[in-house]
Amino acid sequence: MAGGNLAAMSGGPRIVIAVSIAALLAVFLAYEAIHGSGQLLVSVAQLRSDKDGAAAKTVDLTGTAVRCIGGACSDEQAPFTFVVKDDGSNVTIPVRYASGSVPDAFANGRHVIITGRMKNGTFVAEPDSLVTKCPSKYTSGPPSGQGA
Amino acid sequence: MAGRTRDRRLMRSAGNAVYAAFGATLVAVLMLLIALERHDFSIMVVYQHTTRQLPLQYQLTAMWASQEGSLLLWLTVLTGASSLVVYQNRHRNRELMPWVTAVLGGIMIFFSVMAAFVSSPFASYPGTPPSNGAGLDPALQNPYMVVHPPILYMGYVTLSVPFAFAMAALIAGRTDARWLASVRRWTLFAWMCLGVGMLIGAHWAYVEIGWGGYWAWDPVENAALLPWLASTAFLHSVMVQEKKGMLKVWNAVLVSTAFALSLFGTFLTRSGVVNSVHSFTQSNVGPFLLGFLAVAVAFAVTLIIWRLPLLRSEHRMESVISREATFLFNNLLLLALAFAILWGVVFPILSQAVEGIRSTVSVPYYNFFLVAFGLPLLALTGIGPLIAWRRASPGSLWRTFRWPMISALAGGGVLALLGAGTNPAALAAFTLCIFVAITIGLEFARGTSARRAIAGGSWPRALFDLVGRNRRRYGGYVVHLAVVLLVVGIAASGGYTSVVEQTLHRGDSLSIDGNKVTYAGLIQTKQQNSTTVSARLVVTKNGQQQGVLEPGRRVYTDVQAGQQVTNEVDIHTNYLDGTDIYGILEGISPNGSSVAVKVLVNPLVSLIWLAGVVFVIGAAITLWPDPREARQLARRYATALAREA
Repeated sequence: MAGGNLAAMSGGPRIVIAVSIAALLAVFLAYEAIHGSGQLLVSVAQLRSDKDGAAAKTVDLTGTAVRCIGGACSDEQAPFTFVVKDDGSNVTIPVRYASGSVPDAFANGRHVIITGRMKNGTFVAEPDSLVTKCPSKYTSGPPSGQGA
Repeated sequence: MAGRTRDRRLMRSAGNAVYAAFGATLVAVLMLLIALERHDFSIMVVYQHTTRQLPLQYQLTAMWASQEGSLLLWLTVLTGASSLVVYQNRHRNRELMPWVTAVLGGIMIFFSVMAAFVSSPFASYPGTPPSNGAGLDPALQNPYMVVHPPILYMGYVTLSVPFAFAMAALIAGRTDARWLASVRRWTLFAWMCLGVGMLIGAHWAYVEIGWGGYWAWDPVENAALLPWLASTAFLHSVMVQEKKGMLKVWNAVLVSTAFALSLFGTFLTRSGVVNSVHSFTQSNVGPFLLGFLAVAVAFAVTLIIWRLPLLRSEHRMESVISREATFLFNNLLLLALAFAILWGVVFPILSQAVEGIRSTVSVPYYNFFLVAFGLPLLALTGIGPLIAWRRASPGSLWRTFRWPMISALAGGGVLALLGAGTNPAALAAFTLCIFVAITIGLEFARGTSARRAIAGGSWPRALFDLVGRNRRRYGGYVVHLAVVLLVVGIAASGGYTSVVEQTLHRGDSLSIDGNKVTYAGLIQTKQQNSTTVSARLVVTKNGQQQGVLEPGRRVYTDVQAGQQVTNEVDIHTNYLDGTDIYGILEGISPNGSSVAVKVLVNPLVSLIWLAGVVFVIGAAITLWPDPREARQLARRYATALAREA
């Protein structure tokens, strides 16, 4: 495929093109070998059940922020603690967000992704790792409440 | 049928159907805009994304804040572009146009069915319509909401046109360079819109989201970058096919890949299969989009394999030290980068399928491959335009590149002595940028000098004539200059940013990069649908005031779910050195006596936005109709037709 038709090249260029493609592939393999296969993205239930040893690793945790200790989540500034619920069950976990920016969209009921690790039953987040999904775009279905 | 029978009445009828589709879509758009303007909450889209208090521009642009409305926008751009294609080609490309119309028509049918039956923007609110709507997310209440989605959609959607021409050429068996001439401008236009759309999105994130950055390798950002990379590769390799009759299979694959990636991008955005800050709750359109993508890919692959005998190269590549080879290496690197990004995006899905648990890749993964493949690409940006076609000798290479290389290495050495060596990748990027900038400058200087020697006149006049007579070439050089500015801006702001976070009482200061930032107190301002409390930060350097930052927290009062609070950053730009001082208010103490602030100094970040302007200028130069080029192409086609006869 490369070159349109490798057969349309003379021997020298063909070899160089093939070696170049092999070199590019080697870059991928080298990266995978050195850095491994990514960071686990786990749900609350998976973290609680220690799936794949998640409880002992730095992971990305997903779930829904259901309440913040001490006030409304939309007003929160770090440091604060909030509770994340699993999307498929009632399993919850407290998350300690000690420092970093809080996204504008962060509020009760918003889906979040946060990086950190478990420590004494609490998920301790890395600074500036809190990501909140924009809530209004591309959802379909009935409204969640009546108009004012 | 028109393609098989060559019946002109059928062809005209098909063209009229395209015009009618555009007209009908425009009527639908008008109806939705009227419903938005009149607060017709009996329509679900209007209820979900607006309120009576929303400023008018956001009421109207709420059309594309929703899944349903954005599909209608897609259909509008598609029918509009298709109508323009039919009109432009009403007297030419008679063998291709029936098939072009058929392919575009097939794509239009799919999106029409989606908009009409699967995800309709006119779905009704169940029950009695409420008196007010749910409101538009504050992050979308930004002037960029007016331009960013439409420009991006023009980029995504108009990639359908080159795809349609490529498929038509394969179906009709017209696989010479004629179809390329028809699609080159459309590809350029789509590519320009995607590039501008991404830069606008990056600036929007920079000024709105408030983390001090502009690109997070989010799946939706990558969804626009992937077809842009494939289109960039095509715009380079198309020159090889036009000049040498080579890379025919490659170009057909690239055009199909760009279109497939645009469909894949919209699938990612709407399906919810990957996590993204741009949201994505799982919606019902994902399976349909995936199915259509599979059909489009199968269609393209089948046609390419069927027509392989017609896609044989007319010449052989004789040397790897040639412009053809340089463009091929360029393509390989662009596609390798695209593959790396695509792998990163789909990795969570694949790991879940294979191992039962999702794994993600993060920013360091993407940055690694950006550097690994981007630096060689940057080098080729300087080499490609100057190296000879067919074969270049080592001697000619040395003569051509000697001074640019020596100057670049000297410049890199100076930068290293000035402290840029703390980030080797950024230093390498700067060095290569000097190399590319010098090669571009030499090309302009030599060309202008030669023009003056032929026609006389002043230097500016000679430069103007030079560019006017060679728009494609010199427009391309201007785009390469934009790439240089972009790389310098990214390398500097990515590699040398300073950050300080501190809690300040009134009168306290923090120091960052030689600047002193003093907290002078809180201020409150009111807007149409919100109130903002800001921290006044006075920036001084060597005793001289540089500017004032007022980062704040804004409370929106019209969002139905309750008051929503957003961070409003403030940025002071030094236009002399392109550096931004960026202030974020992270918190206010309960009694208001102190504030937690984060201040960043982003060097040369303004070059990124300047690169966008230069990019548009360069793309506009290459897009500008050129009568001389049209005559050259006509002569080339006449030769091709005579050869076939």
